[in-house]
Amino acid sequence: MAGGERDKEAAEGQARRAEILAIKETKSGRQFYCNFDNFNKRLDEWVPAARIHFNQDVEWPSPEKPKDAKKAAAPAAKKTAVAQKKAQKRPTSTREASVASEGTTPHPWTEFVDSQKGTPDADGGELVAALDLDNTPGAEDDDPMDVDEAVAEAIIAKTQPPEHFSREEEIEKLRTGGSMTQNQAEISRIRNISKVQFGKFDLYPWYFSPYPEVFTQEDLMYICEFCLCYYGDFKSFTRHRQKCTLQHPPGNEIYRDDYVSFFEIDGRRQRTWCRNLCLLSKMFLDHKTLYYDVDPFLFYVMTTRDEKGCHLIGYFSKEKESAEGYNVACILTLPQFQRKGYGRLLIQFSYELSKIEGKLGSPEKPLSDLGLLSYRQYWTENLVDILLKYNESEDRCSIEQLASLLAMTPLDVESTLQALKMQVYHKGEHKIVLPTHIIKRHEAMKEKLAKDKSKKKVINPEAIQWKPPVFTASTRTWGW
Amino acid sequence: MAPPIRHTRVKKLNRSSGQQILREDQIEDYDSLALHTENKTDSGVEKSEEKEFHLQAALANSSNGQSEGEIPTRPAEETTDIDYDALYSLKSDKPATYIRFSQTVEECTGCQYDMSTEDDVFLTEYSKSHPESQHSEDVFERIMEIFEETQPEFAAVDQTLYSFDTMRQALKQNQMDDKLLVVAKDFYEFWKKRRQENGNHSLQPELKSETQPDNDDGDPYVCFRRREVRQTRKTRARDVQSTEKLKRLRKELEEGRSIVKLVLTREQAKRELMKTDKEIFDARGELKAIKFKTGIKTDDEELLINQKPQRRRTSEFQGISRQPASQLRMPPRADGRALDADLILLSDIQAQKENRLQIEIQEKSKQHEIWNSGFEDLTREPLSPVQQGSKTGFRPATAQYQLMTPPSSVTSESFDHPSPAQEKLEPFTFRYGSPAEEDEPRGQPAYRRRIGRCGRLWIDRRGMRPKESDDVVSDRFKFDQDDEEEPPVYEMDAFDTKALRFRATIPFPQHLIPQRVRPDSTPQVRGNGPSPPSNRSIAAAPQPAPT
Repeated sequence: MAGGERDKEAAEGQARRAEILAIKETKSGRQFYCNFDNFNKRLDEWVPAARIHFNQDVEWPSPEKPKDAKKAAAPAAKKTAVAQKKAQKRPTSTREASVASEGTTPHPWTEFVDSQKGTPDADGGELVAALDLDNTPGAEDDDPMDVDEAVAEAIIAKTQPPEHFSREEEIEKLRTGGSMTQNQAEISRIRNISKVQFGKFDLYPWYFSPYPEVFTQEDLMYICEFCLCYYGDFKSFTRHRQKCTLQHPPGNEIYRDDYVSFFEIDGRRQRTWCRNLCLLSKMFLDHKTLYYDVDPFLFYVMTTRDEKGCHLIGYFSKEKESAEGYNVACILTLPQFQRKGYGRLLIQFSYELSKIEGKLGSPEKPLSDLGLLSYRQYWTENLVDILLKYNESEDRCSIEQLASLLAMTPLDVESTLQALKMQVYHKGEHKIVLPTHIIKRHEAMKEKLAKDKSKKKVINPEAIQWKPPVFTASTRTWGW
Repeated sequence: MAPPIRHTRVKKLNRSSGQQILREDQIEDYDSLALHTENKTDSGVEKSEEKEFHLQAALANSSNGQSEGEIPTRPAEETTDIDYDALYSLKSDKPATYIRFSQTVEECTGCQYDMSTEDDVFLTEYSKSHPESQHSEDVFERIMEIFEETQPEFAAVDQTLYSFDTMRQALKQNQMDDKLLVVAKDFYEFWKKRRQENGNHSLQPELKSETQPDNDDGDPYVCFRRREVRQTRKTRARDVQSTEKLKRLRKELEEGRSIVKLVLTREQAKRELMKTDKEIFDARGELKAIKFKTGIKTDDEELLINQKPQRRRTSEFQGISRQPASQLRMPPRADGRALDADLILLSDIQAQKENRLQIEIQEKSKQHEIWNSGFEDLTREPLSPVQQGSKTGFRPATAQYQLMTPPSSVTSESFDHPSPAQEKLEPFTFRYGSPAEEDEPRGQPAYRRRIGRCGRLWIDRRGMRPKESDDVVSDRFKFDQDDEEEPPVYEMDAFDTKALRFRATIPFPQHLIPQRVRPDSTPQVRGNGPSPPSNRSIAAAPQPAPT
């Protein structure tokens, strides 16, 4: 990590190793933005100095460390560094405690609301920006230091620009894809919007999003539910609402059933709307990149209808022409609709489109943690369903057959089977074995759905009114 | 059973070959089996994140079959301090069909300037201090929008701030009321102040756009960069193509320019004309006054406005302006109406055509009446439709006018383009006085008897099969032989319907056919008894079919 400080942070009796990404001064004292080791960035938070154990050894970023800042660039070097650190840390008892405590699932947001409420973010950004880049901390790693000095050092280290990393390569990758392995700037690792008012809901963003910088100073940002325009000022927002006539995503409806509708939106034709959608979704997608414009993407937006109009549930974007055969670039269910089975619908819809195109599709990598889980679940359900049928009829089935039945890539089929430990080698033959617990769970799920029809949300492929859009060579040449 | 798996080499998994699908309980010693884990595939999650605690826990849960693994996330909360129904006041009905929509956000949100709290304070203050000029928030926003739009995009870089004179021009261009210019001046000062406070940046928060491609590469706030246009390969053909294209565009531009020029001269001429007209009118008024004063009582011919030359002139102008318009892709319209306002509609053309056809048909039927006057129409029953599409050789009834068929009245031209009216008529062919019971199922031999002019008797037959090739039918008579030497004689009326029907089934003797080489006309039977001797000529020459 380019700069930053390994430290321990005590939260409700559990100490964890954390990396400090930013420091700010507030009325109540200095606060540190911490990323906890082995926890997703969405759990990062501002921590007051009181919760940090400065009496423990503080691990300073070594001067050469920025060289392997990007894990992708030098994974080997990083690994050894980590191992060393662990060896250093092991003797301390708090470390042991923190490892042991990882067994329980923490819900840290109750804390971070408290710590974030009423803290003006104003100086957070400035601190990072106004620093001397030439100073690098010395190698006096284990020296006990004054806290203030430590802070200054950390900031200096933090602002080391990751120039060495081959940005050209990274940007070249962005040209084709919609997501990236790691954001290049440190500042983008820090959540910049604290709260968003959207429709009937208050959303708490998980990640950085490049909304205009003034919004980082607002406690609350308003987003119009239909055109997704953003406002820091409530008066402006109400004025906008008086004028805005949009009541559904600005495109053609291509699917409708009792629960949801899908709209297809061309990034080039609806540039403003799609940009707004990307900004919104960036707050919940770590790996999404907004480096380049939205022109080469189509957006498939899922909505639910009531008397006010079609409300955005989630969406997935898709390249107009994917060289790698991806059928999804970014996919998101908005937080207020999560854990309700909508993600499954989005995934199913993406595969239904692939079926109409006559192609095998796969989501763009890297997947997020939530993305992997959702996809795994969808793949498992569908694969187990088919495999049980084959098992009953005692037919043989190849991986490619499975892939074409579900419009999945054979690689995805194989990785799912592997993850479920279903591939065995028995008596000189490869076989697929359905473990009993998976069958049981599958049947339980089926039973539950049979009992309660309303829960069974699936896409009805016959209701899709869609033809694969055709793009000519000239649209490609002129940037879609 | 010792596990021999360790020693056997695992064959490579072929993705296209069928694999056996088993349940866990269908395979013995499942637990001791080595799972096939070589060529481990990627999970797709970034390596550094793969080891994340929550993800690992969730994955472990789901693959163990305990439960669906879940990762804790901060949930959204329902907003409590906002009046949703007031903010989102519009209602929408569920349309019956799938929505099709192409308007952009800008087109749906009206004025692009949304006044802030600061603006609101200013406006209320202003309204208080200037009770004579009350302005709505809409007017304020409109004026501010024009200010913001007129100000150059990168004003913050070179610190340009347009003067009010420039803004006044812009306001005028945007058709703002002159009365508003006064208040706009005050608003301008406020706008200028806010703009300066804001470092001459746009008053509404804007996304950071790329200003210096080299510097802002690493700025995470800069987003939605433009992609470079992909280079196309340079070939001679492409060069020629683009030259041609450029030339054409240039030509079109020139044409457009010259048209605009012509329009200008036309409008100037019109203005001159108006001026002259007014002068004439004034002069006439003067003349009238003088005449009235001096009491000259001649006829007032010279006082009337002569419209004639004027009309000629306008038509001339129309002729001129229309001609170039047809070559343009976008004919300019002086009156600013939508382009398609005077496009011709297909339905209009169709209606017109139908009308024309109707008139033509009426004329034709009148003509037929004239032709037929003096003739006696012996057809007793009205026209009735005939079953169409028979291949039985029954000649089309259209050929059976017994009245004098008038010379072809239809110009071939008029039916080249079928109109809906004609298409409707097509399935029906008309014949005269056909009794309904004669419409027997196709394939059955049938005949009909008609009496023509001068008592000529016509017998039409149809459903004749030249040869009985049907095995079943021929078989039917195989053993039906007459033992008696003398065929029995039946007493019968030669013109009895039954007898006629029977005789109608008798095929033509072969030797008669070459004399009547008319495949589609019906053979005729010569009437014997009651028919007059004048009926000797059996068939007239085939008459031209009225169409």
